[in-house]
Amino acid sequence: MKLATIGVGNAGSKIIDRMLEFEDKTGRSLCRHVLVINSARTDLAKPDYVPEDRRILIGDTHKKAKGHGVGGDVEVGAEVAKHDIDEIRRAFDDVEIHEVDAIIVAAGLGGGTGSGAGPVVIEELQKMYDEPVYGLGILPGEYEGGRPALNAARSLQSFVQKVDNFIAFDNDAWRSRGQTIEEGYEQMNRELAVRIVTLLAAGEIDETDVAENAMDSSDIMRTLDTDGVSSIGYASTTISGDTDEGLLNRFREDEKPVGDATDAAKIKGLVRRAVNSRLTIPCEVTSADRALIILSGPSELISRKGIESARQWLENEADTVDILAGDDPRPNASELSAVVLLSNVTETPRVDEIQSQAVDAQDKIAELEAAREEEINELITDENDELDPVV
Amino acid sequence: MKLALIGVGHAGSRIVDRALERELETGRDLCNGNVLVFDTAADAFDDITHVPSECQVRFGDIHPDVDADGVGGDPDLGVTVAREDVQELRRAFDAVDFNDVDGLLLVAGLAGGTGGGAGAVLLEELQAICDKPIYALGVLPEADEPDHCALTASRALQSFVEIADNVICFDNDAWRSTVSYTDTAESEADRPYDELDRTAVSHVMTAFGASESAAMTTAAENRIDASDITRTLETGGVSSIGRATLELDRSDDGLSWLPSWLPLPSWLAGDAVDGPADAAEVKRLVRRAIDSQLTLPCAVDSTYRVLVVLSGPPTAVSRKGFESARYWLEQETGTVEVLAGDEPRPDSATLTATVLLSTVTDVPRIDALQERGRTAKEAVDESEAGEAEFVW
Repeated sequence: MKLATIGVGNAGSKIIDRMLEFEDKTGRSLCRHVLVINSARTDLAKPDYVPEDRRILIGDTHKKAKGHGVGGDVEVGAEVAKHDIDEIRRAFDDVEIHEVDAIIVAAGLGGGTGSGAGPVVIEELQKMYDEPVYGLGILPGEYEGGRPALNAARSLQSFVQKVDNFIAFDNDAWRSRGQTIEEGYEQMNRELAVRIVTLLAAGEIDETDVAENAMDSSDIMRTLDTDGVSSIGYASTTISGDTDEGLLNRFREDEKPVGDATDAAKIKGLVRRAVNSRLTIPCEVTSADRALIILSGPSELISRKGIESARQWLENEADTVDILAGDDPRPNASELSAVVLLSNVTETPRVDEIQSQAVDAQDKIAELEAAREEEINELITDENDELDPVV
Repeated sequence: MKLALIGVGHAGSRIVDRALERELETGRDLCNGNVLVFDTAADAFDDITHVPSECQVRFGDIHPDVDADGVGGDPDLGVTVAREDVQELRRAFDAVDFNDVDGLLLVAGLAGGTGGGAGAVLLEELQAICDKPIYALGVLPEADEPDHCALTASRALQSFVEIADNVICFDNDAWRSTVSYTDTAESEADRPYDELDRTAVSHVMTAFGASESAAMTTAAENRIDASDITRTLETGGVSSIGRATLELDRSDDGLSWLPSWLPLPSWLAGDAVDGPADAAEVKRLVRRAIDSQLTLPCAVDSTYRVLVVLSGPPTAVSRKGFESARYWLEQETGTVEVLAGDEPRPDSATLTATVLLSTVTDVPRIDALQERGRTAKEAVDESEAGEAEFVW
């Protein structure tokens, strides 16, 4: 698939940057057009792989932003994007849209810029182009607090309404103890980039002559065409590097080479591990509408039979017959990986949790706001109101 | 966040002077040279050493009731002379480039005639000519200062809160126990203001000056931007700042003699990263920042919005710990509006947590001040009824 990729806000820009990095390292060529949009000048300076002229600052003339971000306020984020919509539109002028199959908009939903400006950008893209627009959204963890949860719950509605599919990533599922502030979300962003790129770069070269079983862009787009929320599972195994022997032998190294049945079992096992390992957003697999399995790696290692039995296993597991499975031949890959897309999953406990945290936060904010003026006034005046202000 | 600093009265001017001194010491550039001090007394600027003389403005001195000591602690006279000289004060603001800063901070002792009285007039003027947020740092008097100081401070606080976008308070009384006092301190000159001023300045500068350090070479994962601070303070009222510092014992691993650029194998470097500030320690530090002395002691659960900045080497701070600390603040303060950011100082041997509690509404110290103010006012009223002249 060929993509136009747009990162909105700090988190969104970083994910796009990590996608470009992974592409670069694995010799893929998925992102044909790149753009990052930010409201804070300092965040715009961070990407390593996004060219300077593909970064735009919005809201630099807005009273509440002025190039210093939107202070985590989703309303201000939406406002500045609407205000600078002409500038955003102009940035798409040089995108040769007939060269891309789809557009991806990545954003963090807990902050202000991604959550607020993201949907505004998507709405504009939907007006301008016929190509599908996919959202890639990071959901804040519980410990990021009430305000991010409220931003995310509101923004999620806008995103899902406007995109053709919303691929969700749950920060909480990926939080781990050892991370320092410096690493921040780097590791999580990398994990997400690997999944997205492995998934969408399958069928990147559609005229592939390698396998009749190869996945192509239209299969992926068909699976994504559900208007819902999706989750991605992933697993990989390193191909051992003993070059004297054939690839097949390398793969079978620690197994006894007993033939096709073992290969098939390995493929099935890998797919199974992809679904049962951390999904980008934990969900009830049975609630998925459609699914897609891609095996990416040297084609001689991907057993046709294995893919078929993996497909059957997932058909049972997800309780849907709408499952496509295929391979993405990567002759020089050092890993064999399985990526599983679960499209339109409707049972995601984390979304429910965010919504309930958001409702509490909204109530709390309203309650405080109602009392604020009066409490300040009570504080600065004495009990009997005998003291006058100096002016 | 860049802030123009405006000092009014003796205390205000002194604190602004200390702020410039600290800019030099820490390499944090808060005001970009946008600074002004105002006073009515003749010797007002004698001990000002860092504010350039062209930024020192004396006013009101032609008024018949103003002598060499200025307005003599009378806030109403402070208001009167400021209004009379308003053209001159406005002209003085030409020296400040409002486009060069993200906001203004007017610093004043609320108990002073010039600070509390003329300070309020200056706030009005600033609001009229500048569309950036205008904050005040108001210093509250000590308990053993005369009652009329409490009266002036109570009245000035009302006006400051009405006019400014937010008033950060520093309570000299709460902090006096932390500085060394000579028992013989009788006159104002003997009071250890210098240390109190420095304390106020260091709190304000770590809260507002995060991300303004010239030495900052690493990008913050989550930088505190001017918009974050503005949003935190936009709820108005009175605010307080807490702070705590943790010494990072980085010599523990016995490798401190190695140059820091030398990449250590992970089995050696592992401890240096995990050791100093793990999740629990970061959380304890943030907790200590609000459990320890606040610039204005207050009930933490009466806060409307919170900003927390963690300043130190980013490799030594557990992100999970910082997240839990943030979450704990949310529980403790009872507000969901808690913004958190980090200020990377890779070579620092300390980790500092600064917490800005915006719009605190339960402040016993202010109630007590008003109570004393009322007593003073009654005394004034009585003496006026008896047509005796009240001497400030």
